[in-house]
Amino acid sequence: MRVLSVAYLIAAFVFIYLPVGALVLFSFQSGSLPVPPFDGPSLQWYAAILSDGDLMRALLHSLLVALCSSAVAVSLGFGAAYGLARHALPGSALVRGLLIAPMTVSYLIIGLGLLIVVQRLGLGLSLVTAGVGHVVINLPLCFAIIYASMGAQQQNAERAARDLGADEARVVLLITVPMLMPAIAAAFFLSVTLSWDEFIISFLLTRFDVTLPVEIWSMLRSGLSPELNAIGSLVFLVSVAIVVLLETTLLKGRK
Amino acid sequence: MMKRTPLLLMSTALAGLAGAAQATEELNALVWCDHTDPALIEPFEAKFDVKVNLREYEGTGAALALLEQSRPGDWDVLVVDGIDVFRAVEAGILAPLPAADLPEADFFPEVVMEANNTVDGTPYAVTEKFGYNTISYNADKVDAADMQDLGKVWSDKYSGKISIYDYYLPVIGLAAMADGIKTTDITAADLPALGETLGKMRSAAASVAGVVAAQTALATGEVDIVVGGGEWLTAVLEGEQPNLTWTIPDQGAVMWSQSIGVLADSEQPDLALEFVKYIVSPEGQARLATSSCFWGMPANKLAGDHLTPDQKETLRWDSQPEYLAKAQLYPAPDADLDIEMQDLWLETLQQ
Amino acid sequence: MTLSRDTLRGWGFAAPALLWTLAFFVVPFVVMGAMSLATMEGRTLIWGLHLDNYAALAQKKYLWRAIIVSLEITLTVTVVSVLLAYPLAWIIAFRVPKRWQRLVLLLSILPFWTSYVVRSYAWLLVLAREGVVNKAMIWLGMIAEPVTLANTRFATVTGFVHFFVMLLVLTIYANLIQLPPNYRRAAMDLGASAFQTFRHVILPLTLPGIMTGAFLTFVLCIGDYITPQILGGNTELTVPQVIMVQLGRRADFPLAAALALVLMGIVTLAYLAFARWLRLDRI
Repeated sequence: MRVLSVAYLIAAFVFIYLPVGALVLFSFQSGSLPVPPFDGPSLQWYAAILSDGDLMRALLHSLLVALCSSAVAVSLGFGAAYGLARHALPGSALVRGLLIAPMTVSYLIIGLGLLIVVQRLGLGLSLVTAGVGHVVINLPLCFAIIYASMGAQQQNAERAARDLGADEARVVLLITVPMLMPAIAAAFFLSVTLSWDEFIISFLLTRFDVTLPVEIWSMLRSGLSPELNAIGSLVFLVSVAIVVLLETTLLKGRK
Repeated sequence: MMKRTPLLLMSTALAGLAGAAQATEELNALVWCDHTDPALIEPFEAKFDVKVNLREYEGTGAALALLEQSRPGDWDVLVVDGIDVFRAVEAGILAPLPAADLPEADFFPEVVMEANNTVDGTPYAVTEKFGYNTISYNADKVDAADMQDLGKVWSDKYSGKISIYDYYLPVIGLAAMADGIKTTDITAADLPALGETLGKMRSAAASVAGVVAAQTALATGEVDIVVGGGEWLTAVLEGEQPNLTWTIPDQGAVMWSQSIGVLADSEQPDLALEFVKYIVSPEGQARLATSSCFWGMPANKLAGDHLTPDQKETLRWDSQPEYLAKAQLYPAPDADLDIEMQDLWLETLQQ
Repeated sequence: MTLSRDTLRGWGFAAPALLWTLAFFVVPFVVMGAMSLATMEGRTLIWGLHLDNYAALAQKKYLWRAIIVSLEITLTVTVVSVLLAYPLAWIIAFRVPKRWQRLVLLLSILPFWTSYVVRSYAWLLVLAREGVVNKAMIWLGMIAEPVTLANTRFATVTGFVHFFVMLLVLTIYANLIQLPPNYRRAAMDLGASAFQTFRHVILPLTLPGIMTGAFLTFVLCIGDYITPQILGGNTELTVPQVIMVQLGRRADFPLAAALALVLMGIVTLAYLAFARWLRLDRI
């Protein structure tokens, strides 16, 4: 490695870790303002957030919405990918285009459109409406990832199973899904990541029960506090632990 | 199968969670952020064995639209700008309050504000908290004497060291006072002149900020003055940085007040009334005054018995008669003027 | 015409996703279109074919100014992010030893997993007058006095670039490692300089990856509310900020819908501009 490359790499990492460093450092602030000078360390803000019922509920809500909406998005995306890749459908280019379309639209617009419809229909806002919105944004990604990984290799195995008398359901569940597991897992994981941290759709489409980013936003609007740093750091550390765990176990061997 | 099972489990869990939430009685309140402090809400929840659901909102227009579109029973309690109570009454959203249940005799007389809360002799809401949109500043960095004159506050001397609070009504009110126009007398004809004053203010400003951004900017030395600030902005900072303070200039300041009422569509009006009564009781008032989101003077004088001397000092309890005499009311535009003011505000930001 | 069993079965698999997209994406979109042609009288919504909202775009300076601000910020962010991310992806792909590559790549996108809202707020602390950037610049002798960085367009752009560099490193890296090493070697063998190899061999081959990443950056950046709202100091407003003001303060859904469609129009134009390189169904 040449000097210049090393220098660039270091500079880039400083830039990338600057906000995270400031965030984590001031989460240990002992005063009540997360601004320089640093006067810690203290763990009081971690204690404060862990005993904050609203915040912990929001965390649970985010987890639920992320897992449920991702499960739906992956199921729908897999179905569409299988249907389009394995069966000759008229107008399949158009269908593909339609399924991918939400990817090119801002989250704000998707959220606003859903909000208007929900209000016109007189339906209530809840975690479910936010989850529906998250499926809309994650479905294109799930579809694209799974569709891209459907190759001739699985098709041969599917054909073999069919020749041996397996019905369609068995073929899909026993052959296709296991063979595509890496892609399905990647799609699911990406969906969970995006849904977990999504703000604007959740903000527009929830009412009393809110997700973590929305709760953090209202904390941010209501006063400066190292609690924000603490919850941000905590979320970061937990997410990183999960990412590292996945990286070293599940996804190992994937390219 | 592998994929469906967790999905099924999760939906069951979600349904279970929703079910659990509905188990106890619930009260739904559309509020400002100071009402979301658990220290304020939990004693009420415990006493009446009820879950209080809170949703914050930003502008009265949006809140009214939301309430008009909601189904009966969706909402029970509304916290609203004192000057906007009449709009809610006109929209048929608020229910009358029984005057006998309101301890207004114990209130600071200036903030009972019958003109706001009563329509045709019927009270629809009650004042719960008040304070001032005025000048917050860093006493180490600026000359306190300059802060007594609005014209000097946004003069060249402090250019780039100012943040403006991001809400159009009080800031337009302050601009009007600097121009010698009474806040209650602002008409569409005044807007061009006010626009010029706002323009001056805006070109001297480093930022236009919400609560936290303004606090951050003051606390980190980004700016030394917040136009539109006040006790609600600096009270939580004072403990750490006593040099951050606020004053009311000679021209005066804008007094803000918030009122609370019961919604006409509430399906549990009795419980909603109990909530209102709790909020205006001395204990509720003391907790609301020192709520984590922002501090402000309680409307009920008896709250003083439940506040520490330090808290009263921070709220400037003893200076209230003098401040109230100097303060003017929030501008109270009608719907058309309101839209013009919002447009003027956005034009000012985007200049 | 009768559909074959195979076709029917195919539709059966694709139908749920298709119906979901129709019900929760296409229908809301159409309703939003209708909403943008409605108008408000006080708080009453009047449906019809009114062009008030689009006329307002032409008349009210702050609305079209918002479009310009959004475009300026988004284009700056897209260009700067690509320029910063490409060398980083390059170094990781070709300079870092193979066995460290995955780790370095993972490390370079790890902050992606801090909460988006909190990350923007953290930049506010970093860019403060007492913050580490000002401290460092004073220490290096670049400036004598702390300068105002937070609550400016610079802060907004910095917050955005931070996020998108992480996204782009990933897409560009994925593209670079797919290049057969022989191509580079062949070019070099034929006497091309390093720059010529890059210019005539590598850049054209990686352009689709860059453009896909750039387009995603464009879409996500122009529609984002959080970053400019937290970091921008509100001294200039982007389109999403103006939309949120319409929703939060006035509940003026028709104007918000019209602005959303304008935003959508801009993204569509960008899509057409990027279209020749895009393979969105193959990311």
